[in-house]
Amino acid sequence: MSKLNDYIIIEIKELKKYFKEVKAVDGVSLKIKKGELFSILGPNGAGKTTLVRMLTTVLTPTAGDAFVNGYSILTGKKEIVKKIGVCPQDIIIYDVLRAEENVEFVAAMHDMPRKEAKEKTKKLLEDFGIAGRKDWSKRFSGGMQRRLNLVMSLVFEPEILFLDEPTAGLDPQARRLVWDFIRDLKNKESTIILMTHDMVEADSLSDRVAIIDHGKIIAEGTPTELKEKYGSDNILEVSFLEQEDLEVVKNNIQNIPFVANWSEIQKKDRKTLLIAFQGGLKNLVKLLQQGLIENIEEVENIKFRQNSLEDVFLNLTGRRLRD
Amino acid sequence: MTILENKAIQISIKNLKDKLRHWQYMFFSLLLPIMFTLMFYFMFGHEEDPTGRTGFDYGFPGMIMYAIGMGTMNAAIMFAQDKSSGMLNRLDTMPTGRKNMFLGALISESLFLMLQIVIMFIVGYAILGLYYEGPLELFFGFLIAVLFGISAVGLGIIIASISKNVEVANAFSLLVFMLLIFLSGSMMPFESPIVYFTPPYWAKQIFLQLTVLGHGLNDNLFNSSLIGAGAETIPITLFGGLLIVVTYTIVFIILGIIVFQKKTKF
Repeated sequence: MSKLNDYIIIEIKELKKYFKEVKAVDGVSLKIKKGELFSILGPNGAGKTTLVRMLTTVLTPTAGDAFVNGYSILTGKKEIVKKIGVCPQDIIIYDVLRAEENVEFVAAMHDMPRKEAKEKTKKLLEDFGIAGRKDWSKRFSGGMQRRLNLVMSLVFEPEILFLDEPTAGLDPQARRLVWDFIRDLKNKESTIILMTHDMVEADSLSDRVAIIDHGKIIAEGTPTELKEKYGSDNILEVSFLEQEDLEVVKNNIQNIPFVANWSEIQKKDRKTLLIAFQGGLKNLVKLLQQGLIENIEEVENIKFRQNSLEDVFLNLTGRRLRD
Repeated sequence: MTILENKAIQISIKNLKDKLRHWQYMFFSLLLPIMFTLMFYFMFGHEEDPTGRTGFDYGFPGMIMYAIGMGTMNAAIMFAQDKSSGMLNRLDTMPTGRKNMFLGALISESLFLMLQIVIMFIVGYAILGLYYEGPLELFFGFLIAVLFGISAVGLGIIIASISKNVEVANAFSLLVFMLLIFLSGSMMPFESPIVYFTPPYWAKQIFLQLTVLGHGLNDNLFNSSLIGAGAETIPITLFGGLLIVVTYTIVFIILGIIVFQKKTKF
């Protein structure tokens, strides 16, 4: 976070978009700093795409305004589109053009010199594993098309990048590749606005997260702040071979201040202890040291479930992100 | 390059690639008119009148207008495809500019229709040996056909802009195109004053009188009257007819720009 400065590159003021009776975005206000990776996390239909479409000047708001790099989305379209890259949620490519033709076309629309565009295209296609494909992009697999969709938004190295569900439908390997690329971009001072319903993605990549539901921002902060404020306790689940060992651990954890509570359950033929505790991984290490390792010889099984943004969403809305 | 920006050219190159790689476009805009031409040639191409010209010599200008009119449909379908696939929206998030999108489409469609006309000329005049007055008249006829084609492209863009999806654009453009072609009497004679309200009639009639009837350029352009729906002359000269085609073209292009700007903005 050290590279973040205080320049507000996107300021959203009471932005609304109504489609007849449906309030797709209902009074959203946010400030996003330059160089920040800001995620907008919410379930499908929460208003993420409508919000990004307004910020990228495709959709006119019903009310409110937003300023992208100092320009109003109502009056500054011409200036805004010079600075932004958009990777849409749907795969939008020219299906009878080859991969490099698609990417070079976008580069031309951003006035990139031809030579530079060719070099950059080649490099990006190599990085994303699409280089060497000479057939039309309609013959690519879904994953390749999605990667091409992303590459098209990156070729001109935009100052502000809007990524709307960039990893939806990608296999784990390709998803990891995209995440690594996003991290690289972040290091290059780009401001990234990531729309996602993937809590792991938001948690692992973001500097800050806003949670959106029914068109409203219901929480905002760093992933750690959100988890601490709205999340649940972390759970450590330990199964023992011997009942005595369980009793010893119970006694040990009573005096550990960050342990919230515990309960004993029977799992198959094993005695199992569920320990709820607050704080991060540091406390997990302390708990293992003070509560278990120093006293117990044998543990049958151990599981750890960390407090996540999913818990935050669940606690805030009473629903899961996937519901 | 103030009006014709590099981006418009890039868009037109992309559109041409897109067009040439879709066999459906190629079939409907190039092969189908050729098929019709050959069919009509074998039906009407052998009975000569006292001047030595066949029925098909007189009918071929209408066939050219039909081939160009197919461009209306193709422009509409292509544009509607970009609209419903979200590509127009994606282009809208880039510094492309609506002017360039429109110009790019106009350039590519115009180039493609020139290709269509050249192919029709080759089939009709070079291969089938149809009658024409002279190369100058034919060149002038080519320009009239291009002018009409540009108006057809404008009409196609209007249809695409107001159509919700490709299917609607396809059906709507087919309806408009067929109506215009038949009501103009381009494919077969239609003795009704309705013909005067259709752009293909004027384009076909000037083309016919210049290249087949030999009403020539020079002074005749301003003196020769056009032949109307009832095979009698009307008080409009060839030049007057040309002005009507130019007016139709300008109106369709301006309307195209306005409707495109309005109907593709959300």
